[in-house]
Amino acid sequence: MTISAVSKKKRRTSSTSQMKDEEARNWADLPSELTYLILIRLSGIDILDNAQKVCRQWRCVCKDPSMWQKIDMRSRIRNERMLDRLASMCRHAVDRSQGGLVEIHVGSFASDDLLDYIADRSRNLRSLGLGMCFPRATNPGLVDTITKLPLLETLEVSHSCLILDFKAIGQACPQLKTFKLNSSGRFWSSRNFRNSRNDDYYALEIAESMPELRHLYLYGNKLSDIGLNAILNGCPHLEHLELHKCFKLKLVGDLEKRCYERIKYFRHTNK
Amino acid sequence: MSSNKIVLTSSDGESFEVEEVVARKLQIVGHMLEDDCVINEIPLQNVTGDILSMVIEYCKTHVDEEESEEAQTKLKTWDEEFMKKFDIKTLLQIILAANYLNVKGLLDLVSQTIADTIKDYTPEQIREVFGVENDYTEEEEAEVRKENAWAFDEADTPKP
Repeated sequence: MTISAVSKKKRRTSSTSQMKDEEARNWADLPSELTYLILIRLSGIDILDNAQKVCRQWRCVCKDPSMWQKIDMRSRIRNERMLDRLASMCRHAVDRSQGGLVEIHVGSFASDDLLDYIADRSRNLRSLGLGMCFPRATNPGLVDTITKLPLLETLEVSHSCLILDFKAIGQACPQLKTFKLNSSGRFWSSRNFRNSRNDDYYALEIAESMPELRHLYLYGNKLSDIGLNAILNGCPHLEHLELHKCFKLKLVGDLEKRCYERIKYFRHTNK
Repeated sequence: MSSNKIVLTSSDGESFEVEEVVARKLQIVGHMLEDDCVINEIPLQNVTGDILSMVIEYCKTHVDEEESEEAQTKLKTWDEEFMKKFDIKTLLQIILAANYLNVKGLLDLVSQTIADTIKDYTPEQIREVFGVENDYTEEEEAEVRKENAWAFDEADTPKP
């Protein structure tokens, strides 16, 4: 079904200015390409739950595969009982992209099954974002997924409740250009992490296994100057580095100077 | 850039004299000027004076788009304040005008503002605010419900 097929409207019964006013208020008469420009800015959940039910023209726009090249399934829902429903919606959104998916953030309900589903249908995927607040995804699952995505360049992980194996992830995706790791929030202080290896553990793994990184964002990471030094040495192409809430960093000696000299965009804040 | 003046005339006969650099932000005007550089008055049939004046206000503010972070932040704040002035009906007029006059930045800004407004609305609320009619037939509504099977049971999700 094409977009133009649905928007046949019966109007133009008179040519008064009142008619013009009515037209202006009737959003169904908005050309499909403008409806598209608006709806493409909504999250996947807003589109599937609401926008597509408004009228036929809107639904038709919502079915256009190009609408689903970038999918954002982030939601404020943190209720574990809702996760299966959100995962089903996410699968449906991936189906609508018809293989054209380029960028996806699956929100906090990533599971091995879901990641597998996405990877099997989205060989063009360049950017993957996932929250791991719930223990539904595993390290081997994540590595398997990444292995299936030859074009993946951007990875974003937030609030992981498990200790991630970045060495394996880096090896599965040697071309990774952008990496965002958000470890702030309650999971960071969990027993898992308190007992985990030294504070520079993640930084050292990143330095060792992600040599092509251009952009690195760390939130709430416990790295010290040692970890930062390792990153500067291990990621020679780094041009953008943001370190937020990394309270163990001291930037002693010329480390800060080196960061500013080496890296085009460097930010270090405690916010 | 020369400080040549161009007169833009709206569908209801209102005229606006603007600098050529501002007029060129309207790509429709830019293309006309390329075709014939002696034009100094341009009629714009599909936009009324009140809407055209807002588009011009946007273009004047965005005429020097500086790269610096500070300038960008300032411009972003101005955009936000500018959008707050309009109700949804006016936003619709502006998006149509931005499309016709081909002002890419404004088109993006208005689309985002409208999307932000409707993001938490139910389908009924969207229809009410935007004056859209529910034109689904009963069969189509059933189809939509069937497709939205995730709301009830994961096992019913359509397989590819």
